[in-house]
Formats: sequence, structure tokens, C-alpha cells
Amino acid sequence: MAVFKRGYQRYDGPLTGPVTRFLAVPRFVWPKLLGQRFVVILLVLSLFWPLMCAGFIYVSNHADLLPSLGSGGDDGIRKMLAIDGKFFAIFMNVQSTFAILLAAIAGPGLIAPDLANNALPLYFARPLSRWTYIGARMMVLFGVLSLVTLIPGLFVFIMQASLASTAWLQANWYLGQGMVLGFLLYIVMVSLIALTCSAYVKWRVVAGALVLAFFFVLAGASQIINQVLRVEWGSLLNPGFAIYTVWCALLGVEPTDDAPGAWDCFTVLLLMLGALLAVLLRKLRPVEVVS
Amino acid sequence: MNPVIAVDNLRVRLGKREILKGISCRLGASGVGKAIGLLGPNGAGKSTLIQTLLGFHKPSAGAAQILGFDCHRQSLEVKTRIGYMPENDSLIADMTAVAFLRLMGELSGLPAAAALEKAHETLFHVGLGEARYRNVGTYSLGMKQMAKLAQAIIHGPELVILDEPTNGLDPAARQRMLVLIKEMKEQHGMNVLLCSHLLHDVEQVCDEVVILKDGQIVHQCDLVAERQANKRFVQLQVSGDDRNLGAALREIGAEGVSEAPGTWRIVLPVEIEVNALWRISARENLRITKLAYRRDTLEEIFLKAVGHLQPSPQPEVAHGRI
Repeated sequence: MAVFKRGYQRYDGPLTGPVTRFLAVPRFVWPKLLGQRFVVILLVLSLFWPLMCAGFIYVSNHADLLPSLGSGGDDGIRKMLAIDGKFFAIFMNVQSTFAILLAAIAGPGLIAPDLANNALPLYFARPLSRWTYIGARMMVLFGVLSLVTLIPGLFVFIMQASLASTAWLQANWYLGQGMVLGFLLYIVMVSLIALTCSAYVKWRVVAGALVLAFFFVLAGASQIINQVLRVEWGSLLNPGFAIYTVWCALLGVEPTDDAPGAWDCFTVLLLMLGALLAVLLRKLRPVEVVS
Repeated sequence: MNPVIAVDNLRVRLGKREILKGISCRLGASGVGKAIGLLGPNGAGKSTLIQTLLGFHKPSAGAAQILGFDCHRQSLEVKTRIGYMPENDSLIADMTAVAFLRLMGELSGLPAAAALEKAHETLFHVGLGEARYRNVGTYSLGMKQMAKLAQAIIHGPELVILDEPTNGLDPAARQRMLVLIKEMKEQHGMNVLLCSHLLHDVEQVCDEVVILKDGQIVHQCDLVAERQANKRFVQLQVSGDDRNLGAALREIGAEGVSEAPGTWRIVLPVEIEVNALWRISARENLRITKLAYRRDTLEEIFLKAVGHLQPSPQPEVAHGRI
């Protein structure tokens, strides 16, 4: 029977599990995000570097072809073509730039409209806690940011593993593990920054600019502290530096001399994430209480 | 029969102010569609009570239960069983009504296919069938109110909490909203908690009324029983010196209150005919200008409860039982 003829009846069927309900949010948001022109352009641009890396990996694994191309085959070139932790650190660094840009475009539209439209009571009057709401919104960014970080990264790693010998995989499996962990930490950090900016700034453009400013301003502040106080620990305030140091540790790359260590950077990142989460939770209330 | 809402010595403090000051009540009956009106002047604590029932505020003492589940400790269980229509504009503006309702349905636990079906069904039910593919942000105020009602009932909750549902509606839309609320309780067996300033709306659809003032319950009544009891009320208007009318009424076993000079509200015992009033008036040299049976309207109940009107004489007193 047609819906308009049937009339309203109370639903008495089975309900979905409470854990999976929040997945409805990203399912509704993703198609909208992927329909935005800037998001599509960024996604396409973000593929170039992984493709170049894939080409590099191909050449690296076919180094015996180089003499025939007249390039010689000395150890220097072979060393330059090695697929090691440094290669993946550079790969992650480049892709992370696209991730920040994507977060700056996609993030501001996630919470600000709910606050502007006073929609939070509708969410929180349903079986959805503040944590689940944040989880649902982070899932949106996780999906989008994975397209430029985790998925191309895994593609590059799997390509190298399939072209190289089994011995390479046995010796370097930690690179894949480190890359996944590093990108996960990075996605969580960028997502929380984007969501917090979205929760506090109503205008999307301003919120997007704030996401970018978060990285640039803190990087500048950390340099000022280092120069004025003639210390190195100021770099801890630079989230870009901190995450790169953690990545280097996960990928077995030599750290920079005198700079703060990976554990220090990791601790600072955790504190930063905790602070962002606390600030976000403070803003996400179903009703404003005026004391 | 278990109550739908059970509140026991509930105290809620927001900042330094205590908003709800130890209220206790049992409202509605589980499994029976009833509408409960929540009334009170501004700042009485109505919204705070609703928000506490929704689990938005933590009680500083006491407890509130909905359908046997604690509103704070078992809030997810409670929220699965209720629907909430907020007072203010509260929508996701850049979504079509179908998508909006589908999302709300899925978040309430409906499977995706069922949520889509219910979204269409509910939108037709509230009269937005033709506009269901329009963005909610483009709706008029009346349509937004209907969309808010639709999202509150899409999952077929046992209790629907409506905060000022007729706000900003034109008379026709207001009537439509009241009909929908009546249908919700009478045809679909839902319990409704209706918070409104429009006493006429509450009177039209509610079976029970709770009146709050300064964070306390000042009156709770069964409207149906109240209406029946109030059938013995008579409104009398006389011209002349009516100073002795009160005493004369007491002589025949009736009780009267002077509302204004020459205007009396009288409780007439069943055994006394209206003719007795004519006789007393003639004896006291008063000319009756108006005599009418009248109900103690909800407005009067409300004004009495919040202290703006002299209390009605009690029928029991008129019978001389107390």
C-alpha cells in the first residue's frame, strides 16, 4: 500500500545495536562531503605523490635496469633508491599536508551547523551520548582522511612488499606497522583539532582557517620560544614537529640532534589530545546552563 | 498500573541556584495513552524538569524515572523510549525532511530501510508529505513545528515530550497540531507530556495537569474529574447591596465567593435547586442580572494555583461535611 494511504503506525520492529547506531551519521555526511568540488580536487591531487612513490618503488626494485639506461649502477644510487624508514617518513609528511587541508575543508561543517541550528538537543534526546556524538563526527573525518593517508600508505607498502623479496618484508614489517600507527595518531589529532574549531567558530571559512592557523601559529610560537630562550623544548609545542618525531621513532629513523625525544613528543601530543577533547566536551551540551 | 513518569523528591541545582526544590509526583499510566499538561509561570522550572527527564541535568537529590528507568543512570534506556520536540528552532537545516527524519530514526535505533519508510509515513501523517523533499531550512515556522513533531514520533515512542508545540502556529495549524496530539494518545496509545503556556491547548488535549511554581508542584489534578466536580458551580451577577449574600447562601447550605462587586461564584449542593438563589436574591433585595452554570476553567485552576485568584469554595464545605 502506498505510504500516503497507509497512515502513521507506531514502529514495533527490532532495533539496531546501540554501538552501530552512530554509524548513521558518517553515512549521511560522506556523500555530501564527496560532492564538494574542493574535496574532490584535493583527493585527486593527493594521489599524485603516492603514484610518484609507486614509480620510485618500481625503479628501486628494478635497479638492475639502470645500467642499461646509462645511469650506472653504483652503490650511491642503490642507497638513494633504498625503500626504508626515511622513504616512508617523507611519504607520510607529504600526505599529511593534504590531510590538514582536507580537515580544514571538511571539519568546520561537522559541528558548527548543529550548534547554529540548535540541533544538539535532537541528538542527545536520542540514545546517543556526547562521546558517541564525537565518535560519529570523528568517523566522518577518519573516512575522508584515510583516503589520503592510510589507504595510499598501505598501497605503497603492499606494493613494495610484493615487489621486494620476502626477506625485505621480514626485516621491514615494522615500517607498515609504524606507518599505520603514525597515521592513526595523526588522524585523531587533526580530527580533534578540526572538530574543536568547528565547535567554537560558527563560520566555516574562519573555522577552516583556524585549523590551518593552529599548526602555523604553534609552529611559529615554538620557534620564538626556542630562539628567545635558547632552548630546544619549545619544539614540543609544534604539533607538526611532535608528530614527525613520533613517526621517525616508529619508522626507525634517526632523530634530530638535541631536539626533544619521541617519548616527550608523544606525551605532549597525548596532553594536547586530552585538552582538545576536554574543550570539545565542554562545548557539546544539549542545553546551555547560565549559572 | 505503573506510572509513566515518577518523580521522587527531585532537586536540581544549576550553578548556585536550586531550580527544582524537591518535587514528587506520579504521572500517566504505562500502556494507556494519556496526555499530561505541565504548566507554570515563566521560571517555574518546567523546562528544567523536562531536561532532567531527558537526562540533560543531573539531579542534586532525589530521582526521576520514566517507564521504570532512572532518567540519569539509565538515560540510554529512557531515551530509546521517548520522543522529544524542543521548544526552539531545532533542526538540521541543510537536509531534506526525508533525510532528516531518516537520520533521526536511525539514531533512535530503526534499521535503515524501516527508518526510510517511517520517514515518509510520518511526514505524510503530519501533513508535510508534499514538501518532504524540500530542505528543512526552507520551511515556514508552522512546517518546522510539524517537522519537529515528526522527528519526535518517527520511532513510535511510548512517551512524547512536547515543549510548546503550538508556538507560532496560525489557528488552523494550531488546531491541526492539537488533533495530532489527541490522535497520538487516543489512536496510537502514546503518553504525551505537554508543556505549554496556552491553557486552552492544555485543556483541550490533557487528562492530567501539573502546575509548577518556584520549582515546586503547587497543584496536580485529574482534569476529567475536575470538570465533573465543577458542574455544580454557578456564576451569579447581581445588582444591589450584596454584603449579606454570603451569609444567606450559607443558611441554605451553599458556599459562595465574591469575585468582584456583584459577581459571585457559588457551589450549589446537589439537593438545592437554582430557584433557591432567586428566593435569596428577592429576600436580600437583589436583582439577578446573570445566572449561569460554569466550569472552573483551567485558567482559573492555574491562577488559583499560582496565587493570582481567590480559591474556589470547596463543594465538601458547602455540604457541611468538613
